Amino acid sequence: MKVSLKEVSQYLDFDLPPIPELVDLIGSRLGAVEETSDYQEKYSGIVTARVVKSEPHNNSDHLHVCLIDDHRSVGEVERNADGLVQVVCGAPNVREGLDVVWIPPGKIVPESYSKDPFKLAVRDIRGIKSNGMLASSREMDLGDNHEGIIELPAGAEPGQDFAGAYGLDDTIIEIENKMFTHRPDCFGQLGIAREIAGICGHKFSSPKWYKEHPDSVDVGQERLEFKVRNDLSELVPRFTAVTVAGIRVGPSSFQLQTAIIKLGLKPINNVVDLTNYYMLLSGQPLHAYDYDKIKALNDGSPNLIVRRAEEGEKLRLLNGKMVELNGDNIVISGDKKPLGLAGIMGGSDTEVDDTTKNIILECATFDMYNIRRSCMQLGVFSDAATRFTKGQSSRQNRAVLTKVVGEVINEAGGSIASDIMDTANSLPESIKTTKVSGEFINQRLGLDLNEQQITTLLENVEFKCQTSVDSLTIEPPFWRTDIAIPEDIIEEVGRLNGYDKLPQALPLRNISPASCDPLLNAKAVIRQKLRAAGANEVLTYTFVHGNLLDKTGQDRSKAYQLANALSPDLQYYRLSLMPSLLDKVRQNIKSGYEEFALFEIGRAHTKERGMNDENLPKQDEYTAFVITANDKLAKTTAPYYRARKFLNELIPAALKFQPLESSMPSFAVMEPYQPGRSAFVTLENNDKFLGIIGEFKPTVTKSLKLPKYCAGFELDTTALSEVLNRQKTYVPLSKYPKIEQDISLRVDKRLPYAELAGFLQAELDKLAPDDTHTALMPLDIYASDDSSDKHVTFRLTIFSYLKTMVDGEVNELLDKMAASAKEKYHAVRL
Amino acid sequence: MEYANPQIKQVAEQLRGRLPNLQNKEEIFKAVELKALFDGIKTLPADERAEYGRELNGLKKELQALVEEAAGSELPTLESIDVTAPFDINTPLNQHPQLLTSDTGSKHPLTTEMEHVLDIFYRMGFNAIESREIDDDYHMFTSLNFPEGHPARDDYDTFSTDEGLIAPAHTSSMQNRILKMGKDNLDHDETIAYVIPGRVFRNEDLDARHEHTFYQIEGLYVGKGVHAGNLIATLKTFLQEYYDKELDVKTQPFYFPFTEPSFEFALSCPFCNKEGCSICGHSGWIELLGCGMIHPNVLREAGIDPLKYSGFAWGMGVDRLVMMKYDIEDIRNFESANLAFLRQFS
Repeated sequence: MKVSLKEVSQYLDFDLPPIPELVDLIGSRLGAVEETSDYQEKYSGIVTARVVKSEPHNNSDHLHVCLIDDHRSVGEVERNADGLVQVVCGAPNVREGLDVVWIPPGKIVPESYSKDPFKLAVRDIRGIKSNGMLASSREMDLGDNHEGIIELPAGAEPGQDFAGAYGLDDTIIEIENKMFTHRPDCFGQLGIAREIAGICGHKFSSPKWYKEHPDSVDVGQERLEFKVRNDLSELVPRFTAVTVAGIRVGPSSFQLQTAIIKLGLKPINNVVDLTNYYMLLSGQPLHAYDYDKIKALNDGSPNLIVRRAEEGEKLRLLNGKMVELNGDNIVISGDKKPLGLAGIMGGSDTEVDDTTKNIILECATFDMYNIRRSCMQLGVFSDAATRFTKGQSSRQNRAVLTKVVGEVINEAGGSIASDIMDTANSLPESIKTTKVSGEFINQRLGLDLNEQQITTLLENVEFKCQTSVDSLTIEPPFWRTDIAIPEDIIEEVGRLNGYDKLPQALPLRNISPASCDPLLNAKAVIRQKLRAAGANEVLTYTFVHGNLLDKTGQDRSKAYQLANALSPDLQYYRLSLMPSLLDKVRQNIKSGYEEFALFEIGRAHTKERGMNDENLPKQDEYTAFVITANDKLAKTTAPYYRARKFLNELIPAALKFQPLESSMPSFAVMEPYQPGRSAFVTLENNDKFLGIIGEFKPTVTKSLKLPKYCAGFELDTTALSEVLNRQKTYVPLSKYPKIEQDISLRVDKRLPYAELAGFLQAELDKLAPDDTHTALMPLDIYASDDSSDKHVTFRLTIFSYLKTMVDGEVNELLDKMAASAKEKYHAVRL
Repeated sequence: MEYANPQIKQVAEQLRGRLPNLQNKEEIFKAVELKALFDGIKTLPADERAEYGRELNGLKKELQALVEEAAGSELPTLESIDVTAPFDINTPLNQHPQLLTSDTGSKHPLTTEMEHVLDIFYRMGFNAIESREIDDDYHMFTSLNFPEGHPARDDYDTFSTDEGLIAPAHTSSMQNRILKMGKDNLDHDETIAYVIPGRVFRNEDLDARHEHTFYQIEGLYVGKGVHAGNLIATLKTFLQEYYDKELDVKTQPFYFPFTEPSFEFALSCPFCNKEGCSICGHSGWIELLGCGMIHPNVLREAGIDPLKYSGFAWGMGVDRLVMMKYDIEDIRNFESANLAFLRQFS
């Protein structure tokens, strides 16, 4: 939202504080200031001048050598005996007697001001000295026109400060729009002026024309009758319109043009510029139709009908775009044809242009939700729509229309040709008041304001306050459609008083401890452990490409799909984390990392998991890990065991590994893993799924271009957190030494290691003497290719709490274990 | 596939025969015969070109299918291993599986920072719970006082699924749940004090400053007599602890539908002490987060009486904190899984 401080000042009866102070104040009490532009500085030193003489340049086919008169207003410039200054000008419209804008040497061309300031110098142009330049609109940053130089209108005085003469001695500040999402009034200069008064502690009075309007207007001799029919009073609470006859459409006065340009709009013609100017001032959009064009389009009928568009109805808008409407859109229509898209943009067929003689001026209010929907559906946005979607008050329609119609006649001539049509059929009688106590206001803000202070703050911005014994009854001004509840009043009081005055005091609470979320706790532990094991934590997107699901064998139909994804790369909620991790392996291998491990702690969502009690998809908490090495680091052993090493490091409990078989039911998280080289992980004494570990299917390896050495695991973080949050077990120390002895057994190659180890451990627990502690560790598993046997070697560590154990005892124990193993598995002790 | 053009037909037969013998199947596309066919287009009369081109493309497609088929059948067959064993058969003792050295390990800077922030809030008495990554319109908007169709919804470009579920654009989507959960505490003269870390999503294009996926920490505090000054003091205390220095703070008016009043909260730049530096854009101030007093409609929606209780809430971007702390140039690094980035945080 651009604000002209010059414009604003017209409505204030006090001097504004210095700009930096004002900007700070606006920032802290109204809304963040994004930019401040000093126009006085930008146009500094530029003056008006008159071309006294203009002769063709001898050495050019288009340049003119001019002598200009600036009433000697500029010092330090070369002049002839008559005090005239020589300037070379290339514009085709330069001629004697023209009033022009002169940028003297040493001054900056405004067009370049905010980019790379270009300072003019005295230059020699094809042998003739030129003192500065005569400027075009573009060079003055006042429009796109560069065909010729600016021709100042009649009445220009040579030697005037250009900025001062044409309203550019101004500062424009830009306030962030988002702050005003609920503030229709702040989309007008008038509203901002009111706020500035309020935050500076001054009382503001809106101009009379805005707050009141006469009951009737003076209708001239020529009457242009028309009717208005509002079919949509629930969406269009008020629609006002009036005709003006006999106007002369042409360019606006230079002052009006600069006033509009400063605030970011383009001048069109005197009628349109006035409607725009008053929109910029009051926040109330208006629209002007060519009366005769309406008649021509509608078999001679000039009526306006507010109705829903017909499905598929077409309308060409002022911006040239043809839109196809639907039944939700509101149109302003003639008896036959739609004329404009209500509240958003007029139609090009009834545009006011140089040929227009008679107009209808419209000033109405449209439902903000409907306007927003239509903008979104049709992809059409406009300054008017921006304002209507903030909820403009319908109470200003007639006042603004009355003001603008008067201004149009001043500027473009003509006379009012009808009464004001006003369909104010659903306006409530009075404005809703809000009751709130001073105590409540003070409590929520932590302040200690008295009633007088509170009412002054509010009355400064034209609220009406009635005090009673225990409360204030507050009537907001009609333009504050955002005020509805006591908290809205609290905000006004706090803001106008200054948020910097809020007391900074920590809240008080009892000392009951905050509880740590076990899952968050577990995640921190996992992170710490895997980091210490040398792995790198990554974060990857929640959304993945459908191809990634395909490549890792996952089923797209199980994934929640985004309806409005930015790109196919981000189209599906991921089903598990591993595909995302694997997707990041190759880039790091290519960057030259020979061996590394990645992990991610995150979430996945699949339709196969169903809904929770809020009827939302259940969330899977996963911890995924992958270890890999490039093909140059020749690894002979299966990477599966490497991943398992990390898994054992992460989980301080005995685990069971159940081989993954292709016949097993398949869940998304299992899909990337290769049966025969992967396993389900559960706790040893519990069959609850803890995770899956393994190598990846050759199709996965191939499609993601993974190195041969690559394996990983994916664990259910929730299940893992229960394990990690368990108490550790402690083994009391013994004062007697421990003994270590190895045992090697030859068994059938197909006997799973865990079965043998589990059997031996059970035997050991059974056979070991009382008051001893034992541990059995695997040392070696050996097999030759052509043999059907394998040799498995364990190391037994044992100590007693009662005595020093001797080798003989231990050997005897191992013998017994070996004997049991022989009986059960035909194991041979070596 | 049959080709009418005799040249194409002949080349097709040649190439089909050659394919099985090629070590690198892709080389078939570099065959000189194929190139000659493509070059031949130019010499044809104009009216024959279309048909010729169509057949030639057909041949190319056929070859592609054959190459893919060959690649598929090429997959190695992997023998089963004993997945119950701790290491592979015949692994020498000195080659038993090892971890990596811990000095290469790293935590992600975002999660490290999140833990740090949470730790401070734990110590200040806040509980923590993570936000959801898939939610509904009610929690994202309606429960937060965004009426259906309200223009304020335009400030949140959310992703949504075919089923109408929403990828939340703010951690505030957890407010209603936490307020409901903590409602009973209020009657026992206790407070609701929560921080909610989480991953959130905005439907916006990526560049060095904008991510569609980022992290927030939401805060929520409700009790009796809680006022706006409490909010400012809480955030200031947190930030001073976080940056381990005295800071100035300021609030600017702002608009959120779910707080009233709403603020934008700024702190004096901790990196230059208000002198002006590249991190604060030479302004001396850093606009860090949005906050405000919880809107009575939000409290009411959770069954809390807004006349009896009041509270405040804030939402803070974590990515920004980390980017400022290390002067990270590009937000896209966070989700890149690039080891050159990650290992700097070892």
